[in-house]
Amino acid sequence: MDALASYTGLEFAKWVLAPGKWTASRVTSFWDRYVYFVGVREENDSLRAKLDEATRELALLREKAAEAERLAKILTIRPPVGWSRQGARVVSRRLGPNAALETVLLDKGSLDGLAVNTPVIGAEGVIGRVLRLSPSASTVLLITDPNSRIPVTSQKNRTQGILKGEGPNREMVVQYVSLGAPLDAGELLVTSGLAGIFPKGLPVARVTEVGRTGSSLFQTVYAEPLFSPRRLEEVALLAKNPEEQNGRTSGTEAGDMDGDAFGEPPPEPHVDASVPNPAESAPAADASRHGRAGAQKRAKPAGNGQ
Amino acid sequence: MNGSAIVFWSVFTLSGIWMQNIIPGVDFLAPGLVLCLQEEKWTVSAWLGLAWLFIQEGTGSLAFGTGLLWYGALVGLYYFGHWLFEAKNFLFMFILGICLGVLHLVLSQVMAVLQDWTLPLDRVLVEGFLQALIFPVEWGLIYLIYNHLPDNPHAV
Repeated sequence: MDALASYTGLEFAKWVLAPGKWTASRVTSFWDRYVYFVGVREENDSLRAKLDEATRELALLREKAAEAERLAKILTIRPPVGWSRQGARVVSRRLGPNAALETVLLDKGSLDGLAVNTPVIGAEGVIGRVLRLSPSASTVLLITDPNSRIPVTSQKNRTQGILKGEGPNREMVVQYVSLGAPLDAGELLVTSGLAGIFPKGLPVARVTEVGRTGSSLFQTVYAEPLFSPRRLEEVALLAKNPEEQNGRTSGTEAGDMDGDAFGEPPPEPHVDASVPNPAESAPAADASRHGRAGAQKRAKPAGNGQ
Repeated sequence: MNGSAIVFWSVFTLSGIWMQNIIPGVDFLAPGLVLCLQEEKWTVSAWLGLAWLFIQEGTGSLAFGTGLLWYGALVGLYYFGHWLFEAKNFLFMFILGICLGVLHLVLSQVMAVLQDWTLPLDRVLVEGFLQALIFPVEWGLIYLIYNHLPDNPHAV
């Protein structure tokens, strides 16, 4: 009887309870998994939010790092003796229907001590000069504008010429380089500092091609700017120190700089006597020199010379 | 001028300056002047026109007077065309846009010659084309927005 009871009653109870237990375990397991997945999802959402935040922070830090690198480059510019340097941000490029010239807008103006014709330089070299001023903003005429002309000297051969812009994305032209003057492709052109707008020895452009055309008395020289106008974000402005403006004005022209403002060794002061001084011969440069004396608020672009 | 119109013209001016920053050489405020002449009192148009004139003259590099000629010609063309066309007609705005495109080319070159400057002709041509294209489209857009302002008695 005991065995019969075992074979019947126990078996029956087992068959009654087992499915219930199986169902209960399944339900419990399902519930646990559901609760677990809800937790995972919440955790996933939280992690996603953290990842998004970290990505944003990383992008911000990368931008800051790039900016710091650019600013550090600008800080490496050693202002020439008698000149001081201050940084400025590029706010905009050409703005409005009357923006005929290649210009950029800076966030510094006359309240920051700027004046018309203040030299504007970047980490690579000369960018332009201040054309117009307002109390807290200024317009800078880029050297790539067709109306910009700067007297330059080649760094190695000391050949002089007038660097003229040809517009955006075009190579610049070096005018009035006489046929016998030595000049190599790849040579750096620096400011000659003859008229006082730019200090002597600032890198401006690099010669890309030297040749001659037709019966011209001058060589045909092309040069590329050392900066990309589209990528300008921060620049440095050079201003003459007050004591320099009041007193030793002639020092700027002759030996104000011991070397290049960009840390390069001072060039040999040899000037080819056979080459006419372009700053003196070029009418544009003369016009600029005369224009400066008038302390005008809007500079004349033609004759970006010194 | 009611509150929503003040907000509209303020936002329009700020947006116009930003658009001029994005697309240089194109006047994004000129369609606003025409809309202002159509919808507002002449005193409002005069004040807004004066403010925009100073913005264009101040940000530009041409000698003072270019903006005066530019907006003067626009107002003159508008009133002249007003006699011939329906003032709020898109075709009229299209023709006005073409006139402005040509005017940009002519005015830039004339002022450059007077100032002994050289301007890249290809760039000025592109700017004139863009001006002609953008002017009627922008006018249509701001016309719709202006006429959907909540306090506008003529709201669509």
